[in-house]
Amino acid sequence: MPERLNEILYRVAEEILESLAFLFPVLDEERKKTSNVFVWGASISFVGPFSGRLVILASETILPDLVKNMLGLDAGEEVSLAQQHDALMELLSIVCGNVLPVVAGKKAMFNLDVPKILSSEEYDTLMKKQDPVSQVTLELENGQADFILFIEEGTLSLNSLPLA
Amino acid sequence: MAINLLIVDDSSVMRSMIVKALRMSGIDLGAIHQAGNGKEGLDRLDEHGIDLAIVDINMPVMNGEEMIDCMRSRSDTSQIPVIVISTEGSEARIERLKEKGARFIHKPFTPERIRDVINELVGRQNA
Repeated sequence: MPERLNEILYRVAEEILESLAFLFPVLDEERKKTSNVFVWGASISFVGPFSGRLVILASETILPDLVKNMLGLDAGEEVSLAQQHDALMELLSIVCGNVLPVVAGKKAMFNLDVPKILSSEEYDTLMKKQDPVSQVTLELENGQADFILFIEEGTLSLNSLPLA
Repeated sequence: MAINLLIVDDSSVMRSMIVKALRMSGIDLGAIHQAGNGKEGLDRLDEHGIDLAIVDINMPVMNGEEMIDCMRSRSDTSQIPVIVISTEGSEARIERLKEKGARFIHKPFTPERIRDVINELVGRQNA
Protein backbone atom coordinates (compact mmCIF):
# COMPACT_ATOMS: atom_id res chain seq x y z
CA MET A 1 0.00 0.00 0.00
CA PRO A 2 2.66 2.59 0.81
CA GLU A 3 4.42 1.81 -2.48
CA ARG A 4 1.21 2.46 -4.44
CA LEU A 5 0.70 5.75 -2.61
CA ASN A 6 4.32 6.69 -3.27
CA GLU A 7 3.88 5.97 -6.97
CA ILE A 8 0.75 8.12 -7.14
CA LEU A 9 2.25 10.99 -5.17
CA TYR A 10 5.43 10.97 -7.25
CA ARG A 11 3.57 10.78 -10.57
CA VAL A 12 1.16 13.60 -9.72
CA ALA A 13 3.91 15.84 -8.29
CA GLU A 14 6.07 15.21 -11.35
CA GLU A 15 3.23 16.03 -13.76
CA ILE A 16 2.33 19.22 -11.89
CA LEU A 17 5.94 20.44 -11.69
CA GLU A 18 6.35 19.86 -15.39
CA SER A 19 3.10 21.42 -16.55
CA LEU A 20 2.98 24.29 -14.06
CA ALA A 21 6.63 25.27 -13.88
CA PHE A 22 8.58 23.35 -16.54
CA LEU A 23 10.69 21.73 -13.82
CA PHE A 24 11.72 18.20 -14.63
CA PRO A 25 13.25 15.53 -12.39
CA VAL A 26 16.86 14.86 -13.35
CA LEU A 27 19.30 12.04 -12.85
CA ASP A 28 21.62 12.43 -9.90
CA GLU A 29 24.64 13.14 -12.13
CA GLU A 30 22.77 16.01 -13.81
CA ARG A 31 22.06 17.79 -10.53
CA LYS A 32 24.12 20.77 -9.49
CA LYS A 33 25.72 19.69 -6.25
CA THR A 34 25.09 22.04 -3.38
CA SER A 35 25.65 21.71 0.31
CA ASN A 36 23.94 23.20 3.34
CA VAL A 37 20.99 24.34 1.27
CA PHE A 38 18.22 25.88 3.29
CA VAL A 39 14.85 24.19 2.93
CA TRP A 40 11.44 25.88 2.90
CA GLY A 41 8.37 23.94 3.94
CA ALA A 42 4.67 24.41 3.38
CA SER A 43 1.65 22.49 4.57
CA ILE A 44 -1.96 22.11 3.45
CA SER A 45 -4.63 20.33 5.48
CA PHE A 46 -7.64 18.55 4.08
CA VAL A 47 -10.82 17.05 5.48
CA GLY A 48 -12.93 14.48 3.72
CA PRO A 49 -13.42 10.69 3.56
CA PHE A 50 -10.01 10.73 5.19
CA SER A 51 -8.25 13.71 6.68
CA GLY A 52 -4.68 14.79 6.95
CA ARG A 53 -2.17 17.07 5.38
CA LEU A 54 0.32 17.25 2.56
CA VAL A 55 3.68 18.83 3.23
CA ILE A 56 6.31 20.02 0.77
CA LEU A 57 9.95 20.59 1.66
CA ALA A 58 11.79 22.37 -1.13
CA SER A 59 15.40 23.48 -1.47
CA GLU A 60 15.46 27.26 -1.44
CA THR A 61 17.56 27.07 -4.62
CA ILE A 62 14.60 25.85 -6.70
CA LEU A 63 12.11 28.49 -5.58
CA PRO A 64 13.31 31.37 -7.81
CA ASP A 65 13.10 29.07 -10.85
CA LEU A 66 9.63 27.99 -9.74
CA VAL A 67 8.42 31.59 -9.73
CA LYS A 68 10.19 32.61 -12.93
CA ASN A 69 8.90 29.62 -14.86
CA MET A 70 5.34 30.04 -13.57
CA LEU A 71 5.38 33.69 -14.59
CA GLY A 72 7.51 33.40 -17.73
CA LEU A 73 10.15 35.79 -16.39
CA ASP A 74 13.67 36.11 -17.73
CA ALA A 75 16.45 34.30 -15.87
CA GLY A 76 18.03 37.54 -14.67
CA GLU A 77 14.89 38.97 -13.10
CA GLU A 78 14.70 39.19 -9.34
CA VAL A 79 11.82 37.57 -7.48
CA SER A 80 10.90 38.34 -3.90
CA LEU A 81 10.78 35.88 -1.01
CA ALA A 82 7.05 36.55 -0.78
CA GLN A 83 6.62 35.45 -4.40
CA GLN A 84 8.71 32.33 -3.73
CA HIS A 85 6.58 31.39 -0.75
CA ASP A 86 3.42 32.13 -2.72
CA ALA A 87 4.55 29.89 -5.58
CA LEU A 88 5.56 27.11 -3.17
CA MET A 89 2.15 27.18 -1.51
CA GLU A 90 0.34 27.28 -4.83
CA LEU A 91 2.37 24.31 -6.10
CA LEU A 92 1.49 22.38 -2.93
CA SER A 93 -2.19 23.28 -3.25
CA ILE A 94 -2.34 22.09 -6.85
CA VAL A 95 -0.51 18.83 -6.09
CA CYS A 96 -2.83 18.17 -3.14
CA GLY A 97 -5.95 18.92 -5.17
CA ASN A 98 -4.81 16.54 -7.89
CA VAL A 99 -3.57 13.72 -5.64
CA LEU A 100 -6.69 13.31 -3.51
CA PRO A 101 -9.10 12.33 -6.35
CA VAL A 102 -6.54 9.80 -7.62
CA VAL A 103 -6.27 8.24 -4.16
CA ALA A 104 -9.93 8.45 -3.09
CA GLY A 105 -11.83 8.56 -6.38
CA LYS A 106 -13.59 11.48 -8.12
CA LYS A 107 -16.78 10.98 -6.12
CA ALA A 108 -14.97 11.81 -2.89
CA MET A 109 -15.35 15.38 -1.66
CA PHE A 110 -12.55 17.06 0.24
CA ASN A 111 -12.30 20.49 1.78
CA LEU A 112 -8.81 21.88 1.46
CA ASP A 113 -7.57 24.47 3.89
CA VAL A 114 -5.50 27.45 2.79
CA PRO A 115 -1.84 26.41 2.55
CA LYS A 116 0.72 27.94 4.88
CA ILE A 117 4.48 28.12 5.24
CA LEU A 118 5.71 25.61 7.79
CA SER A 119 8.38 26.48 10.31
CA SER A 120 11.05 23.91 11.16
CA GLU A 121 9.60 23.63 14.66
CA GLU A 122 6.15 22.87 13.27
CA TYR A 123 7.62 20.26 10.94
CA ASP A 124 9.59 18.61 13.75
CA THR A 125 6.45 18.49 15.89
CA LEU A 126 4.48 16.94 13.03
CA MET A 127 7.08 14.25 12.42
CA LYS A 128 7.23 13.41 16.13
CA LYS A 129 3.43 13.13 16.34
CA GLN A 130 2.84 10.92 13.36
CA ASP A 131 4.49 8.79 10.69
CA PRO A 132 3.72 9.80 7.10
CA VAL A 133 1.84 7.31 4.91
CA SER A 134 3.76 8.41 1.84
CA GLN A 135 6.97 10.30 1.16
CA VAL A 136 8.63 10.97 -2.20
CA THR A 137 11.57 13.03 -3.39
CA LEU A 138 11.79 14.72 -6.75
CA GLU A 139 15.39 15.52 -7.65
CA LEU A 140 15.49 18.68 -9.75
CA GLU A 141 18.42 20.41 -11.40
CA ASN A 142 18.94 23.00 -8.66
CA GLY A 143 17.71 21.07 -5.64
CA GLN A 144 14.97 18.79 -4.53
CA ALA A 145 11.34 18.79 -3.49
CA ASP A 146 9.99 16.30 -0.97
CA PHE A 147 6.26 15.63 -0.76
CA ILE A 148 5.08 14.03 2.47
CA LEU A 149 1.51 12.82 3.02
CA PHE A 150 0.08 12.43 6.52
CA ILE A 151 -3.31 10.84 7.09
CA GLU A 152 -4.97 11.07 10.48
CA GLU A 153 -5.25 7.74 12.19
CA GLY A 154 -8.70 6.30 12.28
CA THR A 155 -10.14 8.53 9.54
CA LEU A 156 -10.23 5.75 6.99
CA SER A 157 -8.71 2.40 6.27
CA LEU A 158 -6.15 2.78 3.52
CA ASN A 159 -7.02 -0.72 2.33
CA SER A 160 -10.49 0.42 1.32
CA LEU A 161 -9.30 3.19 -0.98
CA PRO A 162 -10.05 2.78 -4.70
CA LEU A 163 -6.57 4.07 -5.62
CA ALA A 164 -7.40 4.95 -9.22
CA MET B 1 -15.52 44.58 -27.74
CA ALA B 2 -13.00 44.64 -24.88
CA ILE B 3 -13.89 42.55 -21.84
CA ASN B 4 -13.35 43.94 -18.33
CA LEU B 5 -12.21 41.13 -16.07
CA LEU B 6 -11.98 40.38 -12.38
CA ILE B 7 -9.49 37.75 -11.17
CA VAL B 8 -9.99 36.45 -7.63
CA ASP B 9 -7.31 34.17 -6.14
CA ASP B 10 -5.39 34.35 -2.86
CA SER B 11 -2.14 33.62 -4.73
CA SER B 12 -0.69 36.70 -6.39
CA VAL B 13 1.55 34.42 -8.47
CA MET B 14 -1.51 32.55 -9.75
CA ARG B 15 -3.30 35.82 -10.52
CA SER B 16 -0.25 36.90 -12.54
CA MET B 17 -0.24 33.55 -14.36
CA ILE B 18 -3.88 34.02 -15.30
CA VAL B 19 -3.22 37.59 -16.50
CA LYS B 20 -0.32 36.32 -18.61
CA ALA B 21 -2.46 33.52 -20.05
CA LEU B 22 -5.19 36.04 -20.88
CA ARG B 23 -2.71 38.33 -22.64
CA MET B 24 -1.42 35.38 -24.68
CA SER B 25 -4.95 34.28 -25.58
CA GLY B 26 -5.71 36.95 -28.17
CA ILE B 27 -8.89 37.94 -26.40
CA ASP B 28 -9.76 41.66 -26.58
CA LEU B 29 -9.05 42.68 -22.99
CA GLY B 30 -10.20 45.83 -21.24
CA ALA B 31 -9.38 46.52 -17.60
CA ILE B 32 -8.20 43.61 -15.44
CA HIS B 33 -9.00 43.92 -11.74
CA GLN B 34 -7.69 41.61 -9.04
CA ALA B 35 -8.72 40.49 -5.57
CA GLY B 36 -7.23 38.14 -2.97
CA ASN B 37 -10.45 36.63 -1.61
CA GLY B 38 -14.17 36.55 -2.20
CA LYS B 39 -14.92 39.56 -0.01
CA GLU B 40 -12.41 41.71 -1.90
CA GLY B 41 -13.85 40.33 -5.11
CA LEU B 42 -17.33 41.57 -4.19
CA ASP B 43 -15.79 44.97 -3.36
CA ARG B 44 -14.20 45.12 -6.83
CA LEU B 45 -17.59 44.29 -8.36
CA ASP B 46 -19.09 47.26 -6.51
CA GLU B 47 -16.30 49.56 -7.66
CA HIS B 48 -15.96 48.60 -11.32
CA GLY B 49 -17.97 47.43 -14.27
CA ILE B 50 -17.01 43.78 -14.68
CA ASP B 51 -17.95 41.63 -17.65
CA LEU B 52 -16.44 38.34 -16.47
CA ALA B 53 -15.12 37.00 -13.17
CA ILE B 54 -12.42 34.33 -12.87
CA VAL B 55 -12.54 32.87 -9.37
CA ASP B 56 -10.57 30.39 -7.27
CA ILE B 57 -12.40 28.31 -4.66
CA ASN B 58 -10.10 27.83 -1.67
CA MET B 59 -9.43 31.30 -0.29
CA PRO B 60 -9.37 32.83 3.18
CA VAL B 61 -12.03 35.26 4.49
CA MET B 62 -14.60 34.29 1.82
CA ASN B 63 -14.16 31.36 -0.54
CA GLY B 64 -15.06 31.35 -4.20
CA GLU B 65 -18.31 29.43 -3.86
CA GLU B 66 -19.56 31.85 -1.20
CA MET B 67 -18.64 34.74 -3.49
CA ILE B 68 -20.60 33.18 -6.37
CA ASP B 69 -23.61 32.68 -4.10
CA CYS B 70 -23.48 36.38 -3.16
CA MET B 71 -23.17 37.40 -6.81
CA ARG B 72 -26.16 35.29 -7.79
CA SER B 73 -28.28 36.81 -5.02
CA ARG B 74 -27.76 40.39 -6.23
CA SER B 75 -29.60 41.76 -9.25
CA ASP B 76 -26.59 43.85 -10.36
CA THR B 77 -24.17 40.90 -10.43
CA SER B 78 -26.36 37.82 -10.93
CA GLN B 79 -25.79 37.76 -14.69
CA ILE B 80 -22.02 38.22 -14.69
CA PRO B 81 -20.42 35.08 -16.14
CA VAL B 82 -18.07 33.26 -13.79
CA ILE B 83 -15.21 30.90 -14.56
CA VAL B 84 -13.91 28.88 -11.63
CA ILE B 85 -10.21 27.99 -11.90
CA SER B 86 -9.47 25.55 -9.13
CA THR B 87 -7.77 22.33 -8.07
CA GLU B 88 -11.20 21.01 -7.10
CA GLY B 89 -11.46 17.34 -8.06
CA SER B 90 -14.83 16.29 -6.66
CA GLU B 91 -17.39 15.59 -9.38
CA ALA B 92 -20.22 16.57 -7.03
CA ARG B 93 -18.72 19.95 -6.16
CA ILE B 94 -17.90 20.71 -9.78
CA GLU B 95 -21.49 19.89 -10.72
CA ARG B 96 -22.75 22.13 -7.92
CA LEU B 97 -20.65 25.01 -9.26
CA LYS B 98 -22.00 24.44 -12.76
CA GLU B 99 -25.54 24.53 -11.38
CA LYS B 100 -24.70 28.00 -10.07
CA GLY B 101 -23.88 28.99 -13.62
CA ALA B 102 -20.10 28.79 -13.38
CA ARG B 103 -17.79 27.27 -15.94
CA PHE B 104 -14.95 25.18 -14.54
CA ILE B 105 -11.27 25.00 -15.46
CA HIS B 106 -9.00 22.64 -13.55
CA LYS B 107 -5.56 23.69 -12.33
CA PRO B 108 -3.03 23.43 -13.85
CA PHE B 109 -4.49 25.06 -16.94
CA THR B 110 -3.28 26.09 -20.36
CA PRO B 111 -3.79 29.55 -21.91
CA GLU B 112 -5.71 27.84 -24.70
CA ARG B 113 -8.22 26.41 -22.25
CA ILE B 114 -8.93 29.82 -20.73
CA ARG B 115 -9.23 31.35 -24.21
CA ASP B 116 -11.68 28.69 -25.40
CA VAL B 117 -13.92 28.96 -22.34
CA ILE B 118 -14.00 32.77 -22.49
CA ASN B 119 -14.75 32.70 -26.21
CA GLU B 120 -17.63 30.29 -25.58
CA LEU B 121 -19.02 32.56 -22.87
CA VAL B 122 -18.59 35.73 -24.88
CA GLY B 123 -20.02 34.11 -27.96
CA ARG B 124 -23.03 32.94 -25.97
CA GLN B 125 -23.58 36.44 -24.57
CA ASN B 126 -23.33 38.05 -28.02
CA ALA B 127 -25.73 35.56 -29.60
